[in-house]
Amino acid sequence: MDGYNEEVHCPFCESDDVTLMSLFGSAQLVRQFYCNKCKSAFEFIKWTEHSQGEEEVSKVANHRNEAGVVGSGTMGAGIAQVLAVCGYNVILFDVKEEIVSSSITGIHRRLDRLSEKNKLTVEQAELAKKRLRPVTALSEMKNCQFVIEAAPEKIEIKKEIFMELDKHCIEEAILATNTSSFSVTEIGSITKRPEKVAGLHFFNPVPLMPLVEVIKGERTSGNTMRKLTELGREIGKIPVSCSDTPGFIVNRIARPFYNEALKIRNERTASAEQIDRIMKKAGGFKMGPFELQDLIGIDINFSTTVSVHEGFYGDSRFRPNYSQQRKVQAGQLGRKSGRGFYSYES
Amino acid sequence: MKADIGTGLNRVMLTGSALLVESMKADLQQKGCHIVTEESLAGTSEKVDVVIETITQNTEEKKRVLQDIESKVEAETLILSSCISISITETASFLSHPERVIGIGLFGPWSELSFIEAAAALQTESVYKEQAAAFFEMIGKEVEWVEDEAGFVFPRILSLIINEAAYALGEGAASAEDIDMAMKKGTNYPFGPLEWADKIGIDEVYAVLRGLYQNLGEERYRPAPLLRKMVHAGWIGHKSRRGFYERG
Repeated sequence: MDGYNEEVHCPFCESDDVTLMSLFGSAQLVRQFYCNKCKSAFEFIKWTEHSQGEEEVSKVANHRNEAGVVGSGTMGAGIAQVLAVCGYNVILFDVKEEIVSSSITGIHRRLDRLSEKNKLTVEQAELAKKRLRPVTALSEMKNCQFVIEAAPEKIEIKKEIFMELDKHCIEEAILATNTSSFSVTEIGSITKRPEKVAGLHFFNPVPLMPLVEVIKGERTSGNTMRKLTELGREIGKIPVSCSDTPGFIVNRIARPFYNEALKIRNERTASAEQIDRIMKKAGGFKMGPFELQDLIGIDINFSTTVSVHEGFYGDSRFRPNYSQQRKVQAGQLGRKSGRGFYSYES
Repeated sequence: MKADIGTGLNRVMLTGSALLVESMKADLQQKGCHIVTEESLAGTSEKVDVVIETITQNTEEKKRVLQDIESKVEAETLILSSCISISITETASFLSHPERVIGIGLFGPWSELSFIEAAAALQTESVYKEQAAAFFEMIGKEVEWVEDEAGFVFPRILSLIINEAAYALGEGAASAEDIDMAMKKGTNYPFGPLEWADKIGIDEVYAVLRGLYQNLGEERYRPAPLLRKMVHAGWIGHKSRRGFYERG
């Protein structure tokens, strides 16, 4: 146990106000610390085999990295959680303090649940919590390596955020948008660094869904794509690259699964129940198109179709079905409203 | 009554795609069916209970083969026709006895189909629907009866998903590998659409799309240029060693 009680200083700010968060390893002894002064996480690795030498060989993993998340709704909170668990010091922004702090409370609760389920150790969960910092000014993101915007899907809001970020963030910072319906090229063009702007499209719920689409705007550089792809892998996701096309990969190619099913039902070739049964039994899909719309929310599904249809300038392959709009107008949105294509009222 | 139908439906005549016929033959024999060939039928009084015809890509050929079969079997023989590219009603119209035609939607290898979509033509009489139901039960296939339309349900929806993936690939939106990965991991598909197309046969997918395009006349069913060219080049997937992916 020698070398344990030595005084540890934060490698970033030299402060000795550090907390030992966790300690593990056998051939190597890894100790993870959190600096209470500059709020960095860092780790020391010590070889325990004498032949390997006595010196501490690694000062820090890249845990200094600060990442910003703009927007603390469902997607933003999910992204912040994943980044924090993977060692990033996350700056989470929202317009009002109560909004962002309630979002942080929610993330804490989910982290606790993860450690109760033994998906994380208690120390990992506590460390992740310490890595989350709520802010209400985008200027706080000035030192971030990456900023991921997950604000409401309104182009004016996004443009305003990107102009602000462009002004405040260090030159090398990469600015990514989690948009699912706007052009990454359009958002990038509002900044002076379009080569460092790209899409990073996560899927809901972010901590569970393994995919992330990395979207290359017309002016996005290869280096930005590589760095975001690496970031995706680093936070445990499977990154795929896509050019800046409406709906990117998933939202575009999945359209017929819902849209053609709606048309078949509407033409009375088969009922919703039959189509669901056929797609599961003949196709091996886990859920049928109508069950899945009820789960996602028929309104959400409809607006995705509308947005992809608009993105392709009304190409009839994506034409929404009026029967889906009627469901939305009737307030029959699926599980969340107790009724959609199926009834969930008890 | 039902038992009568069941026991009386075991002499089966198969015609159409050689690959499909081969795999069906072995399976049906195992289930107790006696396979009647055109040769064994010629000049004998042997009776056929069920005809299964699986021509999907060439309507003219389908018509010719069905008319030829009709001249060889009795007027009451049940005919099951795989109709993924035209309607069953149109298929039935090729025959002088259209009332015994039932459409089935075969899409993918026979061995993997434990579940079959079936539909009656407008001309179909209900007794043949009952016979078909008894036959499916005998050979252990679960059946879902839908209304008659080109492409049925699963072939239609999956072909449109594959078509969209082919458009995206053709436009350079993403690589084949990334498209397949995205659909498996982003929305839980059992296979990526492009690897799925290779498995089913790009010619079959193209037949469904072309059939929908011709029958329903809507732009949304237009086959992606890449799919059309691949079919013309003979790059139709596993059957040809080359499709969206190359094999060994």
